[in-house]
This record gives sequence, structure tokens and C-alpha cells, in this order.
Amino acid sequence: MKSRSIAKAKYLILRPAGYPMKSSYHEYPEISEYRVFEFYAKEQWQGLKVKKGDYLFDSRMFPDFAFLVVDVEPPNSEISSTTRIIVDVREEQVILPKTKSIRMNDIVGQERAKQQCRIIKKYLEDPKKFGEWAPKNILFYGPPGTGKTLMAKALAFESNSPIMLIKGTTLIGEHVGEGAQRIHSLYEKAKSLAPCIVFIDEIDAIAIDRRYQDLRGDVSEIVNALLTEMDGIDEREGVCTIGSTNRIEFLDEAVRSRFEEEVEFTLPNEKERAEILRLYLKRSPVKISEDVDIMKIAKMMDGFSGRDLVEKVLKKAIHEAIIQDSELKMEHLLNAANKLPKKVKDAPKHMFV
Amino acid sequence: MHVAPQMGYDRAITVFSPDGRLFQVEYAREAVKRGTPAIGINTKEGVILLVDKRVTSRLLEPSSIEKIYQIDEHIGVATSGLVADARTLVDRARIEAMINRIVYDEPIEVETLAKKICDFKQQFTQYGGVRPFGTSLLIAGVDTKSRLYETDPSGALLGYKATAIGANRNVVMELLEERYREDMTLEEAILLGVEALVKATEGEASVETIEIGYITVEEKKLKKVEKEKIAEYLRRVKKE
Repeated sequence: MKSRSIAKAKYLILRPAGYPMKSSYHEYPEISEYRVFEFYAKEQWQGLKVKKGDYLFDSRMFPDFAFLVVDVEPPNSEISSTTRIIVDVREEQVILPKTKSIRMNDIVGQERAKQQCRIIKKYLEDPKKFGEWAPKNILFYGPPGTGKTLMAKALAFESNSPIMLIKGTTLIGEHVGEGAQRIHSLYEKAKSLAPCIVFIDEIDAIAIDRRYQDLRGDVSEIVNALLTEMDGIDEREGVCTIGSTNRIEFLDEAVRSRFEEEVEFTLPNEKERAEILRLYLKRSPVKISEDVDIMKIAKMMDGFSGRDLVEKVLKKAIHEAIIQDSELKMEHLLNAANKLPKKVKDAPKHMFV
Repeated sequence: MHVAPQMGYDRAITVFSPDGRLFQVEYAREAVKRGTPAIGINTKEGVILLVDKRVTSRLLEPSSIEKIYQIDEHIGVATSGLVADARTLVDRARIEAMINRIVYDEPIEVETLAKKICDFKQQFTQYGGVRPFGTSLLIAGVDTKSRLYETDPSGALLGYKATAIGANRNVVMELLEERYREDMTLEEAILLGVEALVKATEGEASVETIEIGYITVEEKKLKKVEKEKIAEYLRRVKKE
């Protein structure tokens, strides 16, 4: 009767934690086939109630080898035959779709980008429908701090699928050959998670134009590995790759052409800056004084990104207010804004007619 | 847009890249795109030049910003790009026009003048130690009939029925391609030009910033459209 009230786990993230004791004859196991492991794991742990921070012990191949429960969704639920088991290893961070998280509407502006992303959402909701017409690779580009990562997360959450966040630099690896290996295993894992998003941040770190590859000899093999995966020589239904970069012109031509769609993220205009400030001021821990003029601050911050506004202006101003034990006043915001170097993004206008 | 370095082929203007390009000269064309739009339209009745001046501050004297220059009685140019470079070219053009009057005792032909300007510009793409002009000119004038030429920083010369230089050129060109007719009257052409200018400046063009020059085939004299007229044209365009 009790078990009936326990929810069935939808997603479970595990991380290998090792043996409780160390000795010379124990092998450190490595998971080679994620799909097979999922069945193997379910068979022995089905029916167990787990919560974040628990350890699960293997009882078959490597008795007493422990796995840490990194996350389980919904919390405190029971492993069942429908649970998706994800093994988390170092490089990739897997984020589960939670009920209370970022939505596309929380992103201010970027209307064009939102429009273009709608199709990915549709695809993740029903990958079967698309067949060979699936959107496989999308490229996000634009200045830093304009919401590329935020958009990817929002997409994942809205379509209720997990997202793998990967930093481009972690794919390079220490030895020659490691980078390509990592890319292949990454997609192997993504396949077991499908439908899901693979989000490669700073993709220019690995997909740099071959002209510049003298810098690192092995980058070209990483590019090649990436190319074969992006082409989807092995059919990968429901895996959508999103690359993100702020230097699109440095990307390798061949990689760039693999992206069916390039989505541009732009710096916010005055209205959008005001909107961003308004949105984040709502979450301010201190009270906001009546004299705060959002439009004026927004007007001053021409050329700054959303992240600049929140991290460099709002945060500083709030810190100042907390130190002074007062409410957030206009002078705090002005102080923070004036300390920042002006963004010179346009050439001096008087030189041109 | 940020351009990746081209292996050093963009360092000197006199060095070709392996695929036969002169990157410095191409970059000079980017300077032209930084200028505000200038539009030229040729009709059977005459030729017109329309420009939008950028007035960045309330304190600025709008009349001190020049974008349409008179070269000779019958020739006017509109510029886009580096303002100082434009003035140098305008001075040069005025001298060439004068020389023609003194030597041949007749007004210079528009095409002859345009070619002289382009020859001058070209020299700054072939020798070391110089840089190309960051300016394009629309040369409009009337000799045996009305004419319109466009020059660019490479020294290329093209005759047009209607064309534009400066920011949002492609927006204007799209509109002109669609709506230009050879049998347009001067007034229809001005209205089309004002509409294009409003579109290219995203609605920011106003009576204070718009300047329109025209040369009719009959008069062969460069004249400016008065403010009241411009206001009327703007009203008519915005109503449509």
C-alpha cells in the first residue's frame, strides 16, 4: 500500500563513486555500453526508492562498486522499468527537465531566435514525425551574454527533455586521439538519452577553421570526428545538436555548413534592456526605492549585453545597497553604471556622412 | 562584421591575395557603408539626389553637415563614407570642372568628370604608403541629357538609372529595382526616393535631415528642394 504512493522515477543520474575500500586487486570498471548498462542497472535496482545523495551498490559484476545518485526526478521516487538511467562522467553535465525552471518567455527580446527555435521544440516533442526531415544541428551565435545558453536550457525544459551541456574545451583532451574518442562516446550517450539536446558551448574551441589548426595538430581529427557525428552516419533519432559560439567567422567551413540553421543572438536595444532590468529587479533581495528610473539606466547602457546588465550593474548596485543597509536607490545604480567602461561599438559618427 | 585576418594579404593595399583580391580596398567599401544613405534617380526630365544627414545632437548646426555638393553649375555630387575624404574628392572635382572650362571654354561632360575622379581614386589602390578613399560618390549632372554615375573606393565607375550608396543600400536598391520606371516624372522620382530614404533610415528621416538636389534637363542647373516642399513630400509618403 505504501509503495503505491511513491512516484515512479522518470530520470536518474548516477556517477561512479568507487569502492568503499581500496585494495590492489580491484579493477576500476568503466561503462562501455550505456544502453546495456541501463538494462543491467534496472534489473538489479528496480523497486528501490532513491533520493539525491544516496549510494547504489552494484551486486553483480563488480560487487560493492558504488554509484552516487546525483539527481533523481521527481525527487524521492522509485526506480521502475520506465526510468531513464543516465551515467554522468566528468565532462558532460546533464540537466533534467524540472517543472520549475526557465521558460522561453523568460528570455527578453531575441524574437527571431525564439521563432527559429520553435521547430526544435516541436521536434523534441515528437521526433518520430520528422523522419529524415529532422532538424539535427543548429548553431547559436552572437556576442557573449546574450542568452544562448539560456535559450538552450529553456528549449530543453519546454520540450521536457534532458540537455547535455558540454564545454568545447573539455572535448580536446590531453592526448592525441582522446578528443575524437570523447566526441564519439558523447554521442553514444546522447543516443541513449534521446530525445535530448547536446549543447556544445564555445564550439569554436574544437571546430576552429583548418587554416588556424597549425596551433594544435590534433584539432583536425577532432573536427573530423565532429563532422561524422553531425552528419549522423549512424542514425540518431531525437538527438539535436546545438553549437554556440561568439566568433562564427572562425568556425571551420565544413562544420558550419553542417548546421542547417544559424540563429543569431543580438545585443538588447534600449527597450529590451529596460525589460531585463525590470525582470531582475523583481528578484532583488533589497527593497527598491521609488526614485529608481529604469529607462534612464537602460538608455545609458547602450552596447551592453543582458549579462553585463545583471552581473555588472544590478549585482554591484545591490551589493552597495546591502552594505549601506538601505533600499536600492538610483544613486547605487548610477554608481555601478558609471564605473563601467563605455562600450565603444561604433566608429566615431562625425567622421562619416 | 568582424573579418578573420587573411594571412597578411590585408596588410598592404598593393598586395593581391592568392585569389586575386585587394582586401584593403574592400575594407574601404565598409567605410562607405558607415555613411548615411544617399540615393540618385535619373529620369527623362532630369536627375535627382536625395540624402539623409545624421544630426547626432540638438546642438549641432545641421547646415554644417554637407552631403550634397555643387561641382559646377550643372553637376552635383552626393557622398557617403568618410567626410574628410569626400571633401578632398569634391575639391578635386571642382578643379577638374574649372580646368575644362578654361582649356575648352565649355562645361565639362558628366562622364568626363566621373572618369577623372575615378582615375584619381584608382591611384590610391596601386601604390604603397597610401590608403584608398573611404568614400563613394553619386555624380549627377546634365550635359546632352541627364546622367547619373556611382564611384566606389576601388575607382570603379558605373552609370545607373537609379542607385544608392551608404547604410542600408540593399534596402533602397530592392525598392528601386521594384518601382523604378524609365518614364517617371521628376516628382514621382522624388517621391520614390523619399520613400526609399524613409525605409533605409527606419523612419528616422525627417524634414531637418533630408536634403534633395535636382538638375532638370531644361535648366541644367543644380537646385535644392525647399524645406516646405520636403515636408509635403514626407507627408505624402507617410500617408501611403
